[in-house]
Amino acid sequence: MDLIHPRTVVDVAEALGTASQDGISVLVVGGRRHLDKGNPTDVDVELWTTQLDQVVAYEPDEMLVVVQSGMRCGALAELLAQHRQEWPADAPADATVGGVIASGSTSARRLRVGALRDTVVEMQLVTGDGRVVTSGARTVKNVTGYDVHRLMTGSLGTLGVITQVALKVRPMPERRRTLVAVGDVALATTIAAEVPLVAGVLGTHEGLEVRLEGWPDEIDELASAVTRLAGDTVALDEDSSFPRIPWWLWPDGGTVLEVAVVPSSLPGILAGSTNYAALAGVGIAWVGAASLGEIVAVRRRVEGTGGVAPAIRGPGGLGGTLPVPDVHRRLKASFDPANVLAPGRAWTPGTAAPRAPTSGG
Amino acid sequence: MADVDAARRKLEAALGPEAVLSDPLALRLYARDASMVEGGCALVALPTTTEQVQACVRAAVTHDLPIVPRGSGTGLAGAATPIGDSLVVATARMTGIVEVRPEDRLAWVEPGLPNLDLADHLRPMGWTYAPDPSSQQTSSIGGNVNTNAGGPHCLAYGVTSAHVLALDVVMPDGSLERLGAEGPEAAGYDLRGVVVGSEGTLGIVTRVCVRILPTPPAVRTMLFGFDTVEACAATVSAIIARGVVPAAVEMMDQGIVRAVESFAHAGYPVDAAAVLLVEVDGTDAGVAAQTHEVEAAADANGVSSVRVASDHVERALLWKGRKSAFGAIAQIAPHYHLHDCVVPRTKLVEVMRGVYAIAERHGLIVTNVFHAGDGNLHPLFSFDRSVPGTLERVLRASDEVVRLCVDAGGALSGEHGIGLEKRDFMSLVFSAEDLAAQACLRAAFDPDGRMNPRKVLPDGARCGEFAIAATGSGHAASDAADLPEGSWI
Ligand SMILES: Cc1cc2nc3c(=O)[nH]c(=O)nc-3n(C[C@H](O)[C@H](O)[C@H](O)COP(=O)(O)OP(=O)(O)OC[C@H]3O[C@@H](n4cnc5c(N)ncnc54)[C@H](O)[C@@H]3O)c2cc1C
Ligand SMILES: Cc1cc2nc3c(=O)[nH]c(=O)nc-3n(C[C@H](O)[C@H](O)[C@H](O)COP(=O)(O)OP(=O)(O)OC[C@H]3O[C@@H](n4cnc5c(N)ncnc54)[C@H](O)[C@@H]3O)c2cc1C
Repeated sequence: MDLIHPRTVVDVAEALGTASQDGISVLVVGGRRHLDKGNPTDVDVELWTTQLDQVVAYEPDEMLVVVQSGMRCGALAELLAQHRQEWPADAPADATVGGVIASGSTSARRLRVGALRDTVVEMQLVTGDGRVVTSGARTVKNVTGYDVHRLMTGSLGTLGVITQVALKVRPMPERRRTLVAVGDVALATTIAAEVPLVAGVLGTHEGLEVRLEGWPDEIDELASAVTRLAGDTVALDEDSSFPRIPWWLWPDGGTVLEVAVVPSSLPGILAGSTNYAALAGVGIAWVGAASLGEIVAVRRRVEGTGGVAPAIRGPGGLGGTLPVPDVHRRLKASFDPANVLAPGRAWTPGTAAPRAPTSGG
Repeated sequence: MADVDAARRKLEAALGPEAVLSDPLALRLYARDASMVEGGCALVALPTTTEQVQACVRAAVTHDLPIVPRGSGTGLAGAATPIGDSLVVATARMTGIVEVRPEDRLAWVEPGLPNLDLADHLRPMGWTYAPDPSSQQTSSIGGNVNTNAGGPHCLAYGVTSAHVLALDVVMPDGSLERLGAEGPEAAGYDLRGVVVGSEGTLGIVTRVCVRILPTPPAVRTMLFGFDTVEACAATVSAIIARGVVPAAVEMMDQGIVRAVESFAHAGYPVDAAAVLLVEVDGTDAGVAAQTHEVEAAADANGVSSVRVASDHVERALLWKGRKSAFGAIAQIAPHYHLHDCVVPRTKLVEVMRGVYAIAERHGLIVTNVFHAGDGNLHPLFSFDRSVPGTLERVLRASDEVVRLCVDAGGALSGEHGIGLEKRDFMSLVFSAEDLAAQACLRAAFDPDGRMNPRKVLPDGARCGEFAIAATGSGHAASDAADLPEGSWI
């Protein structure tokens, strides 16, 4: 396997221009944390973004930071912390900013901070055939033209290489506290619904974690609301991470599905499951599936509610039914005309048959 | 070749004759939105169901008419202004609230529903729909989606795109698709995100699934007066530096405060050079803490008057001042041109000064009322169109305002969009490659260029790989001559 390790956007453009000309297939790689999402593909070369790691601009007053895509989430967090700000990705420290965005990953505190895709306000990218494109602007609000950056967010490196992004950041909360309690996803759902402004409620097969963030008195007010619903709770120390139970430490070998459904159907979908972590109120759950049979069973329940359940670890592919396949095909054909970017990995009907044991396209 | 008569007959059969307008008077009514750009159209259809919208699109395809989707027509960029032999498909009769599901934090609504009707429906249930454009009484949810509308409360909660979960869209070929999902993620590329803000160029939205939020338990509204514009703007940054992101931070200059005061009698300080309306919300304890920080920030910048709403009646009064700004300016002159540009927050003062200088140079009255927290300026030129030469001066001044904002590192539009008005400024901020990528995105949805042609992208922006005119040159001559007055060629 060959390796491209560019230092500049021009390097990226040249490499992809050549790859397109010569029909060399390329997998974009950031922190390597999320490479299982999408159908696994055999490629000729990997393009590593990790040397594109510069801070381009940071104006704390604007609550905007501009960084290159290969910057590690840990390094970005340190930079922002100097001004008591954060980009609430909650990703592993060695994941890259570009990888988080390209894999469409979810903040564990999505209930409070919203979808990460809404933090991306400007993007520079290189298309599969080596054209450098900028979309959006370095302002918190903007409706100038089409949002090509939204198309790239969650596109798994199949339309282009994200080389630089401007991100909306937020003030770091004054205080934070994690409460753990006995309970399941049903209780988690109740807490998410009834405690105002809770940052995150993770219901797992081992118990509950409730994340509170805000002003000092506010945290006390919220904590008593949680205790009223959950009974006894234990507060972890102030700087414990959230979530505390790292789902990625689950035994290797199995598949982890990322279920996304309407919040009220989470308890039903997870009933009987013994291996899950669910973001209550959001409708996301990571579910361990040890066999193909389990994958199919979970997907059947999920699809019955109009949800999706791609595998983000292990085999399983993306699942789900693709809407408007023609639009997807045309997008892929115009952003990656030679079909060199991770061919067959995702949503490119007609260019490759899904190989993984999925129940859908 | 466009065949208007045949299209009309087909539409009358599908929608009923009273839902299809073709008399000259009606056509004139639909020839423009709230911008200064006037166009023209061949037919107007007023469907009541998704199936009827599909029939409209199929008739337009069969008889080769361009389609212009329309909500309430309050848009300020000429995006809903039709040109040529267009079929205007107006959603004004599709105003239902289909369902509200608090347990899933969502509601399904029809596109023609006025924004405020949704807010009013949710309020007694203890829920809100956050985006609240100043036009919320009339502008439609479908229009809000297609312009990615903002509003005072979008500072903390995000603009429309953060509040749209799924869209039912009649595609340019007449097929019906659901983009996005009721849940937090959907299969495929984020096409929902792409359609939001696409100004009716990718399809016709016939149903919207919006995210709703529980009404925050506590809220506090404050009005601060300052002796200088600088101190007022500095307070905005100081609030943010203290780690507070208020629900809303709106700024008004003296000109607009005086106009508002004599109109709404909200008790605004007419001697202040600028006022700041700040609202914080959250839990009781959170609101108390934020209020303390906001007041400290104002104090540190020499605030000259402070008013804190003591109850919801006073809160409503303070907001009435802000929300009646557009009504109030009618007292200044019969016409106005409302600008919309967005700059880095730290450049607000500099850009405001520049705007005042431009107005003075062109002998125009300008006032400012805007979303200061977002850096989103709304310079408002008041004028009398019947005075010869005035419109030209307004357009020249507007041109300079756009360039001023771009030079300050800003974008062409913060919330009103590009439409016809600003499409020829697109190359000020985007390269040919950037515009080609945007044209590709558009062509992927609409390879024939049928939807709202010649909007958003300048003529000449094309998607190379497809060699398809994404700007509808198949439907309108490519020279500028047929573009309406005011579209700033
Ligand atoms: C609480 C929490 C904890 C998490 N912990 C983990 C964890 O421990 N392990 C884990 O696997 N995930 C974890 N995730 C998900 C994690 O956020 C993603 O793994 C991470 O975002 C991937 O970043 P990466 O740099 O490792 O990307 P990679 O894995 O390198 O790439 C991911 C995908 O994006 C594409 N891509 C990468 N960079 C670019 C680019 N610049 N342009 C275009 N495409 C690109 C790749 O081709 C690939 O398809 C967690 C998420 C949450 C919410
Ligand atoms: C006094 C005043 C104050 C305003 N304040 C604000 C403000 O605070 N914030 C803000 O963002 N805007 C504001 N606006 C601008 C305007 O109200 C918004 O752009 C609004 O979202 C337009 O909605 P509409 O229903 O009037 O859409 P229209 O003007 O009818 O259409 C706008 C665009 O959306 C498209 N469209 C409409 N409906 C559909 C549909 N169902 N499917 C596909 N495309 C569709 C049209 O083709 C057009 O491109 C203001 C306007 C006025 C006159």
